[in-house]
Amino acid sequence: MPPKSIWNGTISFGLAHVPVKLYSATESKTVSFREVHVSDGARIEHKRVCSKDGREVPFKQVVKGYEVKPDEFVVLSKEEVAAAAGARGKVIEIEDFVPEGEIDPIFFEKTYYVGCRDEAEGYRVFLAALERSGRVGIGRFTFHNREYLVAVRPLDGVLALHTMRFHDEVVEAGDLELRKPGKGPGKREVEMAGQLVESLHRQFDPEDYEDSYREAVLELIERKAKGEDLSPEEPEPEEEPSDLTAALQASLGS
Amino acid sequence: MPRTIWNGSLSFGLVNVPVSLTSAARDLDMHFRQLHKSDGAPIEQRRYCSKEDEQVDWEEVARGYELDDGEQVVLTDAELAMVQPRKTRTIDIEAFVDIEEVDPIYFDHPWFLLPFGESEGTLRAYQLLVRVMESTERAALGRFVMRTKEYLVLVRPREGLLSLTTLLFADEVRTTDEIAPGGRKPAKKKVDQAVAVIDALATDWDPERYTDCYRQRLERIVKDKKKGKTIKAPEEPKQPKPPPDLMEALEATLAKAR
Repeated sequence: MPPKSIWNGTISFGLAHVPVKLYSATESKTVSFREVHVSDGARIEHKRVCSKDGREVPFKQVVKGYEVKPDEFVVLSKEEVAAAAGARGKVIEIEDFVPEGEIDPIFFEKTYYVGCRDEAEGYRVFLAALERSGRVGIGRFTFHNREYLVAVRPLDGVLALHTMRFHDEVVEAGDLELRKPGKGPGKREVEMAGQLVESLHRQFDPEDYEDSYREAVLELIERKAKGEDLSPEEPEPEEEPSDLTAALQASLGS
Repeated sequence: MPRTIWNGSLSFGLVNVPVSLTSAARDLDMHFRQLHKSDGAPIEQRRYCSKEDEQVDWEEVARGYELDDGEQVVLTDAELAMVQPRKTRTIDIEAFVDIEEVDPIYFDHPWFLLPFGESEGTLRAYQLLVRVMESTERAALGRFVMRTKEYLVLVRPREGLLSLTTLLFADEVRTTDEIAPGGRKPAKKKVDQAVAVIDALATDWDPERYTDCYRQRLERIVKDKKKGKTIKAPEEPKQPKPPPDLMEALEATLAKAR
């Protein structure tokens, strides 16, 4: 089944416009449950209730409040909040092209794939040009009434779009207090640690790693479905930290 | 100083480095509360049983999972806790990989790992890990349990500290097969022209160049509303038409950039 697009628009850089569609690039496979009432297994419903009169509030009667002081709200309608969206609705406007390796992935938030819409020529030209230049397009676009900073880069024969954090949303090392050790690690320790890194070196293949927790949850569900009695087990005691050099030696088996 | 949300130890062979985890991302979004339009009172979300239409306390809520045949299996939190992996206080490093092999598409949430406690031994072991990963350009792959879930994580040096990123699993990243445009290779002349446009708009990456205009506009709207001003709704955005001739558009852009 072909994937469903979630947004139609245009990437524009300079005066060139490339018609595109957006697709989700990732999907969580975490086992999701719904809330049920333990006594009768019936589904739990969430109701919006007014904290003052205790009555249920229909969605039409809900407005947004921004708390300026404790218990003092500036009230906005949903339309007023949407007014912050900006005017670039249907366009991903690329402002700059930066070298791909310079952006720390810490800035990336969520990833989408960009596919072509209508004709594919402009898309192919843009993709090939990005691949050749080794650069990433930085731009902005509005999605669900909110403007995002985005990076557009070639990935695996398509364009990928990452929504990005702004610089003040990323914590820098300088924001944290860290005490340096009086004496740094010794030459021998660095050498041994280097050997240990080497001995554990492997090529990265994401397929090598399975979500064992997900598997365990699914297995538990299966056992319960068969009517098995599930009873908790005892936890294991923890290991003690050890002397650094001795631990490195023992790890290397020398 | 950001809040510590977890502490335990990073284990590397038989070396254990006590560490704490703190988020490397800040939430600067403006958060709104739902209010009741008629009396301005905050709205509360309450749980009701759909069968009895009675309010249900949190202690009476269990997890329901629907099987393929439509049958529902109910698990209590105590039962779910049974499969929680036992070693909840260590991040076990399983392998070291070349940083550039891990595509950022796998990156989920960023954290900092800081040495936990003031002991000389801890600080030295921490520095040792930073230094060895910096010099080898390798990152550590490991697993650990936060709250109730097990995560695959990548630990790498960042600005002299250890950064930890939770990773997505392979099957959580979709393939690009059905999205790739396929077809013939674009004409070299057109790609040359597009590369020239990219070069004309090229700059170094400087995150400070970009501010969150959305946040600023929203702050302005709240301020204006507080003063009693009217807020105008935005106009419906227009979709630009693709240019009839790509070459012309690229040339025009270049002429403008020069």
